[in-house]
Amino acid sequence: MASSEVVQYNTPWRRAISIGIGVFLFVYLLWTTLPFFIMFVSSFKDLLEAFKLPAVGHWAGVVVFFDFTPTIKHYLNLFVDLSFSTYLINSIIASAGSAVISITFGAMCAYSLSRFEFRGKKDLFFWIISTRMAPVVAVMVPLYAIFRGAGLVGTLPGLILAYTTFNLPFAVWILKGFFDNVPYAIEEAQMCDGGTRYQAFWSILPLIAPGMGAFMVLCILFAWNDFLFASIIGSGGAKTLPVATRELVQPQNIQWGSIMAAGVVTTIPMMFLGFLIRRYLITGLTMGAVRE
Amino acid sequence: MLPAIAVLACITIYPFLWLIWMSLHKVDIGGAGDVWNNFKNWSRLANDAKFKQGWWLLLKYSAMCMFAEVGLGILLAVILNRSRWEKLLVTIFLMPMMMAPIVAGLVWYYLYNSTFGWYHWLLQSAGILGEKTILADTGTAMLGIVIVDVWQWTPLIILIVLAGLKRVPSDQLEANMVDGAGEIRNFFQITLPNLYPFLLIAILLRFMDNFRFIDAILVLTGGGPADSTKILPTYLFDVSFKFFKLGRGAAIAVTLLIVTIVLGLILVKVFENPASKINNQEVA
Repeated sequence: MASSEVVQYNTPWRRAISIGIGVFLFVYLLWTTLPFFIMFVSSFKDLLEAFKLPAVGHWAGVVVFFDFTPTIKHYLNLFVDLSFSTYLINSIIASAGSAVISITFGAMCAYSLSRFEFRGKKDLFFWIISTRMAPVVAVMVPLYAIFRGAGLVGTLPGLILAYTTFNLPFAVWILKGFFDNVPYAIEEAQMCDGGTRYQAFWSILPLIAPGMGAFMVLCILFAWNDFLFASIIGSGGAKTLPVATRELVQPQNIQWGSIMAAGVVTTIPMMFLGFLIRRYLITGLTMGAVRE
Repeated sequence: MLPAIAVLACITIYPFLWLIWMSLHKVDIGGAGDVWNNFKNWSRLANDAKFKQGWWLLLKYSAMCMFAEVGLGILLAVILNRSRWEKLLVTIFLMPMMMAPIVAGLVWYYLYNSTFGWYHWLLQSAGILGEKTILADTGTAMLGIVIVDVWQWTPLIILIVLAGLKRVPSDQLEANMVDGAGEIRNFFQITLPNLYPFLLIAILLRFMDNFRFIDAILVLTGGGPADSTKILPTYLFDVSFKFFKLGRGAAIAVTLLIVTIVLGLILVKVFENPASKINNQEVA
């Protein structure tokens, strides 16, 4: 590191660059956070206040953004007048349910894929990942027909199953990577002592438990944020938050305050969960291709 | 483990076969039964201008997104990699990814609005936009949806590139420095080539997601104005769920699926390639 210290003289050129970098970071920071900020603040504004905008080119007029009396009437509207509490519970049940199922079966699947050799394993593998990548719009029609045939349209179990179609392949794929990293010797020792394959499986489970937890959270996130499945498979009896939020957009009367409030309700839990599993995020989002 | 695979098979392979079946028939949702129609769905695709335009717009949309996201992503990752506040800033930058795409679409729709949208006001005040409305003008609507995608998904590229940067072998960098390379030459000669596999994965993933997620576009423009943002998945959505031409929709869906499968094969190849060193667990 000594060499780099030698190079670090403080020329004006270097200082200009570092100031430029600072400004750039600040602008990007604003660009990232501003929509969140506006969404959050607007959800506490009365309709007329939310529509106030300074004249074009009148930069000092930005202060009207902060000129309002906070109101929680949009939140009351969502949870008292509309049944957003039901949609919230639907969202929680559907996403958590599919996450638990996906990770449970996914772990077993991944274990067998990781430990046993059999013919066609590569093909099976590719098929599993391809189901995760298939465009939802493309497979929606036949899926809808299947679900309708099974009487699952508009029910929470149906929605859980629908989310499992993309969460399970994800879980299998990503957990296999974790099992691959656990040395086989642990199970061998267990089985030499007379344990069954099943006991061996349980003995190594604690080793990948943190990963399983993190990916369960990621499964919840994928399912929670989904719109297309929920709007078509869940239509009717199993409305989730994103669908309910979308329905606030009426051709004649767009209830912007309520939409922003619903956006806040939908986004905040996921942001919290995202920060919680920050360390596993990149592995999960790149299907295990990149690790931190 | 077998039941899981069996269930998965039912809800994945079966729809695919059904799609092919549907694409070869005239499908009637009234329930009159499917009628074989001699590849009519397919032959009509060949003359369907909107279908071709859909592919073209999908490619254009993806290319624009990718160009901006990868450029910004690399730049920010390089800066963040040296920053004292890397952890904090990355955490803040990640926020857009957690937002449901539909909510992101709605929020941006609000920001773009011509009577009360703050971003509309900002752009007009800065003299960039003139009298146009971003999403209602055929010239700027595409840019409008690209911006939302860039806002939401640049963080993913930052994360991937950051992970890649941490794995650039420092001995190569030092050797090159000894040879008299400055920081900029070092970046282009050593760092960038080491990042290629990471960038490839990032681009493939984003490309496939552009196929998969149309939530934000449905809210923002719905494919309009004058079909200027009707990328193929949105067109497919219209054909199947607005006009209920399920047979034609299926034919379009099959073309989409085939391209996705090819992309997936490439991704798996990259993933399994030991030379790419991506799976390397030992971080220097």
